[in-house]
Parts: sequence; C-alpha cells; structure tokens
Amino acid sequence: MDLTPSEDQTAYQTATADWCRDHMPLEEARSRRPGLWSSLTEMGWIGMTAPDTGLDHATEALVFAELGRFLAPVALLSSAVGARWTGSGDKAAIALPAPDGSARLIDADGAASAVGLFDGELGSFALPGSLAAAPSLDLSATVARLDALPSIARVNDPRAVLHLRLLSAAFAIGAADAARDMATGYAKIREQFGRPIGWFQAIKHICADMAVRAAVARSQLYYAACALDAGESDAAFHVAAAKRLADQAAIDNGRANIQVHGGIGMTDEAAPHLCLKRAHLLQFIAPADMTQLLA
Amino acid sequence: MDIGFSPEETRFREECRDWLHANVPAERRPPDAIDAIDFDKAWQRRLFDAGWAGINWPSEYGGRGLSIVQQVIWLEEYARAGAPWIGANFVGINHGGPTLIINASEEQKAYHLPRILKGEAIWCQGFSEPGAGSDLAGIRTKARIEGDELVVNGSKIWTSFAHVADWQELVLRTEEGSERHKGLSWVICDMHVPGITIRPIRKISGQTEFAEVFYDDVRIPLANVVGGLGNGWKVAMSTLSFERGTGFIADQVAQSREIEDLIEKARARGLIKDMRIAESLAQMRSEVAALRAMTYRNISEVMRTGQPGPEASVIRLFTSELGQRLERMAVLLMGEEMIDFAYGDDNGISDYLRGFAQTIAGGSAQIQRDIIGERLLGLPKSR
Repeated sequence: MDLTPSEDQTAYQTATADWCRDHMPLEEARSRRPGLWSSLTEMGWIGMTAPDTGLDHATEALVFAELGRFLAPVALLSSAVGARWTGSGDKAAIALPAPDGSARLIDADGAASAVGLFDGELGSFALPGSLAAAPSLDLSATVARLDALPSIARVNDPRAVLHLRLLSAAFAIGAADAARDMATGYAKIREQFGRPIGWFQAIKHICADMAVRAAVARSQLYYAACALDAGESDAAFHVAAAKRLADQAAIDNGRANIQVHGGIGMTDEAAPHLCLKRAHLLQFIAPADMTQLLA
Repeated sequence: MDIGFSPEETRFREECRDWLHANVPAERRPPDAIDAIDFDKAWQRRLFDAGWAGINWPSEYGGRGLSIVQQVIWLEEYARAGAPWIGANFVGINHGGPTLIINASEEQKAYHLPRILKGEAIWCQGFSEPGAGSDLAGIRTKARIEGDELVVNGSKIWTSFAHVADWQELVLRTEEGSERHKGLSWVICDMHVPGITIRPIRKISGQTEFAEVFYDDVRIPLANVVGGLGNGWKVAMSTLSFERGTGFIADQVAQSREIEDLIEKARARGLIKDMRIAESLAQMRSEVAALRAMTYRNISEVMRTGQPGPEASVIRLFTSELGQRLERMAVLLMGEEMIDFAYGDDNGISDYLRGFAQTIAGGSAQIQRDIIGERLLGLPKSR
C-alpha cells in the first residue's frame, strides 16, 4: 500500500504541468493558441490511455489532474476514453444525451465522433459533417445540438464508464486546485486596511476550506484509480465517491475564488469565473448517482 | 501508487481479526471515567498480554516494533470488530507515550512506556489553562527550581481523566519572567503527590471525564523534565504534530464503521427513502472513504519520509467535522427519542453532545484553519 506518487508518476506530473504552463496557460482557456489540439495529440495525452501503452489509471489520474488545472480542452476526456475503449485515435466530442432523445455535443469542433453515457453504458457514434456550434457556459468549449441520436456503438464493459468518470473527476480536481491557488495568490497580494487580505481570518479560513476540499477529493481520486487498477469489487463505489467529491470541490472552490477576489472576481476579464464555469460543465459529465454511492 | 497489502500484512490482518473475534468483550464500556477505569485497565492489559499494545512502538519498551501500516490494519480491524474505546488509556497511548518515544531519556522511556502499554499507568494532559486555550503560549502555571526539584504553582483545565490518572504531561513556565513560547518545560508530573487538587467538571453530555487541576507547591523531581529545561514548547509541538499526523487514525477508521451503521439503521427504519437523508448519507459515505484514502496517503508519506506530510492538519480538521456530522445524523435518525435523554445515558445522544469537543480540543477548528492557511498555503500569519 502506497498512496503517494512514485518517482515515475511524479515525473509524469511535473512534465505535464511544465508543458501546460508554457503552451496552455489557464488565462488563455477561452481562446487557445492555434494548433493546440495537434500539440496535445503529439504530446501523447490522448494516446496515453490506449490499451497498448500499459499505463495505469493512477498515472492517468495524476496527469489529467494537472491538465485539468490548466483548464485543458474537455474533449481530451472523451478522446482519451475513446482511445481506450473504441479504438479511435482522433478527437472525440463529449455527448450529453437528453431525456427527449436529443443530445448536446461539447467541444465538437474538428471531432469525427462523440463519446458519452447512454443508459449507464459508454457509447460512441460518428458525427455528421456539419454541426452548428454555439458558445457554451464554459468559455473554452462550444456546444452543438443533435435533434436525434444516430445509432450508437456501445462498449459492453462497465470499466469504460468508470474510466470516463475517473478522468473527469481528475479534471475537476485540477479545477479545484486552480481556484484554490488563484484565491490564495490573490489573498497574498491584495491589500485592504493596510494588510494583505489573507492576513484576516475571514479570508484565510475560506482559503483553508478550499485546501481541505481539494485534498479530500484528490485523496479519493488516488484511491479510486488504484481500486480500478486492482480490479477491486468496490471500484465503482470509489470512483463514484471521487467524482462526487471532485465536482463539489471544483464548484465550491470556484465559488469561493470569486468571493475572495471581490469586485475583480465579478469581471469577465479576470480568470476566476473560468474555473467555476468549467466545474459546472464537468458535473454533467459521467455524474455519479445515488444508487452507486449507497450500494 | 497501489492499495494492495503484502502477504505478510494480509496475514497480520487475519491474525488481528481472529483474535478480536474471540476476545472483544461482550459488555459495553461503562460511560463515566470513574466507573470505566477498571474496565479500561483490564482491557489494555489483555491487549498487551496478547501482543496488541503498541504495535508500532519500539520493542525494547514493550511494543511490537512493527510498521505503521500494521498499526493501521490493527485499528481498522479493531473498529470493524466493534472493540471498546480505549478510554482512560487514550492520553498515554496516543499522546504521552508517543511524545516520550520522540523526546524522553532512556530512563524515562524504560520506566514509563511499558507501564502505559500494560494499562498500569493512566496519563492525563496538562496543557490548557483558564488563560491559555487556543493561545497555548499564554501558559502561566509556573515552577521555581529548588535543589533538584521543581516547585509548581498554578492551575490547568480541561484535563481529561485527571481524577483517575497516575501521571500527567504538564507544560510549565520554568523560567522566571519568560514570555510566550520561551522558558516553558514539558514535565512528567506524579498525580498522587501532595499539593494537587482536582475539581471534576461535568460535560454537557453528563460525564465528568475532565477536570480542573490546582497545584499548590507541588514538588516534581528535575529528572522528570522531558527534552531539557526550557524546551517545553518544542516538545509539546512534537506531540501536537503527532496528533495532526497519525494520532487520530483510530477515530478515522472508526468512522468507516459508523457510516455503515447509520446506513443500515436508515434502511431498517425506512428513512433512506427520504431524499435529504439519502443525500446526506451518500455524501458522508463518500467523505469517509476519502478520509481513509487521506489516512493512507498520510501513512504512505510517513513510510517514505519518516514524518506526516503538510496535509496532516487537513486530516485533523476534516476528521473532526465529519465526526460531528455523523453524530448529528445519528440523532436525526433517532427522532423524538432524543427528548428522553438523561445524564448517565450512554448512547448516540451522549456521543453527539460529547462530539462537540472534536472541533475544540487539541486546537480548535479555527486554529486548524489558521494552520492550514499559514503553513500549507503560505498566507501571512495573523498572530
């Protein structure tokens, strides 16, 4: 039993964070540099989950949490999971089916297929040639509507769903971390009453709670990834718990970050809202339901 | 990263399980410290005789000298078996003993550690004072040096098990005119010497587990100073960081059992159909799982580096607040039965009331948030 990253895993984490800082800063989330997607593909973050790489879920979770910290494109989730379970090596959008038979497609620009959850199973389908994409709540992603779903190729393995849930939990933890660090960084430099606002317990304790939520969710993410790797019988529960706590941490930290920033946090120009909006999008991707948590 | 246990650890778990299955007492632990002292001592002795006391304590002082992972396995099985709370042995086992292991002289360790493990010596804590709570450096209880003795005057408060204790970990001001963190010493005080008066204090749950302790020219040999005169703050902090690190593992693993009991109870009473209750149980079950994961992470850190990581203070805060939410749920499921509570009852209601101490004792939740903000996040110090 060891729930701290190994040297190799730490190297993966650090390399990911370093690359993201240089090529994919969070502040640019709403308009990424041209060619970002092909750089992401070249760096191997889509292919890393493919069956032949032999990489474990624990390492993937660590890497995806780093990607999530920089609000990496959400289609990385569907593309990586698609690479593992549908054999597609290209960009896949995220499909969010609605009860009326239609579906939302997230981040479908340049995608040939979409991956999503259909009656609790992972499925994929080919996208039509042209889609009318509109802006979405998460300014880094577009949303397109499909009035009716085409025929879906379902993956008959429950681990596929858990994989998508785990990676999107990792993304949410990255967003929670980003919000915590942004708020803390601001609390150290913004001065009122002649001192940094982080000196005041009212602000300090908000930041402390952000740290608690991020640490709690991250711990469960590690455990869930290992449970999935080990094929434990309760892996589904642990992944569901990780997803629930990760989404909560991302949303609550996203909200707190805006509060700590005060008026600046209300502006479109500043970055805090980007973390919160990402968190709200992630909560709809492979959410955990109550029956899994109380099973 | 992996969550697998070695064959040796798995064997150890089976041994724990088998022994506990055969030996956990059928009768409940009496709730009040005075009634429970015989029970606590007898149970601790039984644990010691069977080799289950001080699993990760050094073997030369009566421990087993095993790893912290095995200690956790034992505690997990202990909680799963519904074994009794260690009660009056709490301070010696979880606080005084570990401090002695880190800081004490050979003589001090050789004398005290085996007695703690055997349940022969009950310890209590003497840190807080009426004027030194969250601001622990405000300690005023003082000692002057006369020959090879300290002569102590002053008072301590919130001392759990004072009235049944044999020894006390006492932090005193031993340097005249010293202030704050300087001039303090961590001393082993014999609770049976003349000049000590104990005034038990009743808790909101009805028990008199804690007390105020008065010292009137109490004489303590200088040989009982641990870690050197004037180093008391450093020694006390080593205990507190231990508390924040691994001292609450027993509580953490016990919560795994509590949440399963609550879910079972809610099902049995049909209350799980209430969405608010189901939501809350699902939430807490996720949090309890995360707490175990955090505990494992922390232990992994100890195995790797020899000390808990900086997130240890997060665990302490999270454990205490989650514990209170679990107890709150227990009384919610109880319903109007709660009204019938009377002092002397030992049930979910007394646990609920007693549980308020979790976010007060050993550094309040507010102090823990200061620590997280300042030491983990690097925010400016408010004090």
